[in-house]
Amino acid sequence: MSKDSRMRATINQKLTEMGERERLKELLRAKLTECGWKDQMKAHCKEVIKEKGLEHVTVEDLVVEITPKGRALVPDSVKKELLQRIRAFLAQHAT
Amino acid sequence: MKMEDMPLSGPDNTKLEALVHEIYSDLVEDACLGLCFEVHRAVKQGYFFLDETDQESMKEFEIVDQPGVDIFGQVYNQWKNKECECPNCKRFIAASRFAPHLEKCLGMGRNSSRIANRRLASNNNMSKSESDQEDNDDLNDNDWSYGAEKKAKKRKSDKNTNSPRRSKSLKHKNGDLGSSVNTESYKYNYNTGINYETLGPDELRSLLTTQCGVISEHTKKMCTRSQRCPQHTDEQRRAVRVFLLGPSAPSLPDGDAVVESDSYDIPDGQALMSRLQWEDSPDISPTDSASSKASTNHSDSRRPKKKKRASLGLNSSGGGGGSGCPIGGGSSSSSQSNISLSTKKKRPKLPAPSIPNIYDDLN
Repeated sequence: MSKDSRMRATINQKLTEMGERERLKELLRAKLTECGWKDQMKAHCKEVIKEKGLEHVTVEDLVVEITPKGRALVPDSVKKELLQRIRAFLAQHAT
Repeated sequence: MKMEDMPLSGPDNTKLEALVHEIYSDLVEDACLGLCFEVHRAVKQGYFFLDETDQESMKEFEIVDQPGVDIFGQVYNQWKNKECECPNCKRFIAASRFAPHLEKCLGMGRNSSRIANRRLASNNNMSKSESDQEDNDDLNDNDWSYGAEKKAKKRKSDKNTNSPRRSKSLKHKNGDLGSSVNTESYKYNYNTGINYETLGPDELRSLLTTQCGVISEHTKKMCTRSQRCPQHTDEQRRAVRVFLLGPSAPSLPDGDAVVESDSYDIPDGQALMSRLQWEDSPDISPTDSASSKASTNHSDSRRPKKKKRASLGLNSSGGGGGSGCPIGGGSSSSSQSNISLSTKKKRPKLPAPSIPNIYDDLN
């Protein structure tokens, strides 16, 4: 397992070093805004905030409430494209 | 970094897939976290709910999508309520007539710009002449601003109503209000000059004793300014006198005479000019007679013609640098047409009383 975790650390480091992580983040953000994911999430945020009360809402509350939903709401096309990009990156730098 | 220990195929492929998905979920969580921060900040700063309104107003301002009404639910009528208030005279004008009205009311637009152009041009020509300098400066200063157009318009209307200010300046200039028409003809002549070939020797002589008289190369007309006009030299004036009156012609009056006659020679010249003008062409304004003739022929067409004439007078006043001439032209034409109208009315009436007389005789 140590080998696995070491590999993961290496890959993550590589992603960050090459700037690929930043690029992927930017791509994901753009895609999600484009397909309306962001608006959906904001609407959901509103519900959460109203539920909790405007004054008492914290970032932790939001993260807990939002993240599962956010993960589920990502369109398949976006997910596929992103996975493809990651795979290509790994294939490029695995050898 | 070596990744030779990470095979891309075989049983480890699932491991790689897991890794890929892990990275992906990392990214998505990142995006979610970013959104959460964003929303949280918006909430704490108080601008998160800004775009929301309460349900009532949402309903109130809902966009109406029905045939026959606009998006606010109002019934629109194409030809009703299309009146604009004139910012100048505060009257309500139908939208289709608004632009022409504004043109007239404000004194803007094509026609009045023509007037302004002509006025500018003539002002440049006569900057040295005896025309009312103060008045001209006024006009020049104001010509470029919107308010000035209004002022100019007012000035025009002043002229129409024969304002005290206008007549005062005229009196001051000519000593007599009645000479305003003469001034006008003089000014017209001033632009054109005199054709010396049409004048007799006596006229020539009297003319040359009062005026510059230098013959222009371009127009072949004589200069009608005073003998000290700055455009021509004494040499030129002398040459013209020798040419027209022969070598025995009287030379230019000496300086004293000129100075002495300075104040009087202009009105004299004007009077002379107007006299010459009258001799030259018996009807000073052909349009007048034309309009009066037309009025006798067609009483219907009299009104528009009269109007036109009046406006023409206005235009020419613009050219004259604000000398107040249109009073003469406009009123004379109107009075003429009035006279013609009255005579026309009287004529058919004349036989009327005679008819009963005949009947009386018969009886």
